[in-house]
Amino acid sequence: MVPALAGVDLEAKPGEFVAVVGASGSGKSTLLNLLGLLEPPDTGEIWFDDLRVSHLPRRAQARVRGGRIGYVFQSFLLISGLTALENVLLAARYVGRGRAAALREAMALMERLGVADRRDHYPAQLSGGEQQRVAYCRAVLNHPPLVLADEPTGSLDDAHAAVILGELRALARDGVSVILVTHRAEAAAEAQRVLKLEAGRFVAP
Amino acid sequence: MVGVRRLWPRGYLFTVLGIAVGVAGLVALGAMAERITRFIDGGDRFVLGQISVAGEGMGMGAGFTAGGLLRVARIAEIARVPGVAGVQPQVMLPLKTTTSQFLTLTQELVLGMDLAVPMPNRNYRELPVRSGRFLQPGDRGVAVVGSDFAASRRLAVGGMLSVGGLKWTIVGVLDKTLTAPDRFAMVSIEDARDLWLRRDPLLVQLFGPAGGLGRADLNSGAAVAWEAGADPDALARRIQETVPGVNVTIPSEVSRLLRESTAFFSALLLGIGVLGLVIGGLSLSNTVTAAVFERIRDFGIKRALGATDLDLLREVLGEALAVSLSGGMAGIAVAVAIGWAIDLRIVREGQQIFLFSPRLLAFALVFSVVLGALAAAYATLRIAHLTPADAIRRGA
Repeated sequence: MVPALAGVDLEAKPGEFVAVVGASGSGKSTLLNLLGLLEPPDTGEIWFDDLRVSHLPRRAQARVRGGRIGYVFQSFLLISGLTALENVLLAARYVGRGRAAALREAMALMERLGVADRRDHYPAQLSGGEQQRVAYCRAVLNHPPLVLADEPTGSLDDAHAAVILGELRALARDGVSVILVTHRAEAAAEAQRVLKLEAGRFVAP
Repeated sequence: MVGVRRLWPRGYLFTVLGIAVGVAGLVALGAMAERITRFIDGGDRFVLGQISVAGEGMGMGAGFTAGGLLRVARIAEIARVPGVAGVQPQVMLPLKTTTSQFLTLTQELVLGMDLAVPMPNRNYRELPVRSGRFLQPGDRGVAVVGSDFAASRRLAVGGMLSVGGLKWTIVGVLDKTLTAPDRFAMVSIEDARDLWLRRDPLLVQLFGPAGGLGRADLNSGAAVAWEAGADPDALARRIQETVPGVNVTIPSEVSRLLRESTAFFSALLLGIGVLGLVIGGLSLSNTVTAAVFERIRDFGIKRALGATDLDLLREVLGEALAVSLSGGMAGIAVAVAIGWAIDLRIVREGQQIFLFSPRLLAFALVFSVVLGALAAAYATLRIAHLTPADAIRRGA
């Protein structure tokens, strides 16, 4: 068995925008999955502030994922059977937020991102740029202190990519830790710190 | 509209259709089994509700009971046997003499009853009348017909029934009993005796001083009621022992014989029921399980958004409940519609294939919901061990 990551040590401070770059298969997405508690590490630990989240029970990990981490994926990962608005509101469902407040905030977010008029459309009826903006709204609805973005601009044209990168930058300015995985140099250039992965290890960029 | 939308989750149309097909099969096969069961049970209730007595032998004018004449003197003797509460002389004649020896379970009969005696059958004190009225003492020239008998001849109250040159005005049509009386035409015993005499002229020569027979002797059998607390089997044996020249049916023996003679149908309906459960159950559970597995990616996304295993199980069970309920109701509607259309077509021949009893429909609905929930729970537990990343990858 070949380890996907080895000897990786990464710390992101509040308000820090970190970019992780590397070739395909270098372990970028695995790193993000581990940080986001989407899969468990075979060895090593993941800490969130003073909480060792990698060793929490499943239920507690679910609470951390729902309340403290926002995800933006390259393939958007919207649920096809839900409308754009329902997809955004899904983030609030599992953290016990009141629907009325979540709805107000979701609408405001969608308005700001320019997709409010598409709220009743299903993902298949949206363009790639619209889907990513909806996915972004879902990721930040609960004000997570950590946002993980896995190639969020990979499927977008330059104009839409700029919108998403601008939002991530703004998040970091607001004190959110942003970890961006990308292979686009212009995207990585937005970050305060760039880390390069090669065969599962950090190397000098 | 919001309520309907919630009842029928989006993206589940084909799941609902798949379940509907399975449940429709289950309900249709079950309805056929119910129909056969009701027929056999009805016959069983009938034979256990009275002691039937016929004249000895297989002689002339045997009629449907295949016995000899049961003379009035014999009937009086039967009435004197301790434990007997009442004896109703009867004349039972096949409607079609040419086919009277065949298919007697579904034979159409003319039943003549002595209306002066209360209905002796404990399980059928009165037959349910759908329209008009039942026969009354003193009635002549009128008939009450069973539902299938009426349907196959398009008879209604006020209509005329003509058999063997005699005519009866229909004064009542029975409700469906799904057993033998559905195919009966009931008349007064005097009218039935007239019909018998017309059909069997030889009988006429036996009347009068030479033959030693009176009109009251013209009975093909009698139904015997027992007093409260009496053992019907013991009473039947007592009648057989004390009254010469009669054939007496022992209720429990006839019931056993009926059960044995319908054992094939019982096995058939058991097979039909099991087949329905297997086909419907497999179709339903497979459809629900496949629907859950198809949504592995969605579960991965939801877990990434903070859903716990319990959240997912609750969601899946809720959706499975809605989908199974929708599919179950749709399946029931399809089966009932098909059954109704088929029965409508064959009712002209006085037949009914399907019986959609409330217990069958309730069972089908509960079955689909419970099995749907179990299948959904099984599928959810199967995918619960996947990490969110795995679930997203597998569902991609």
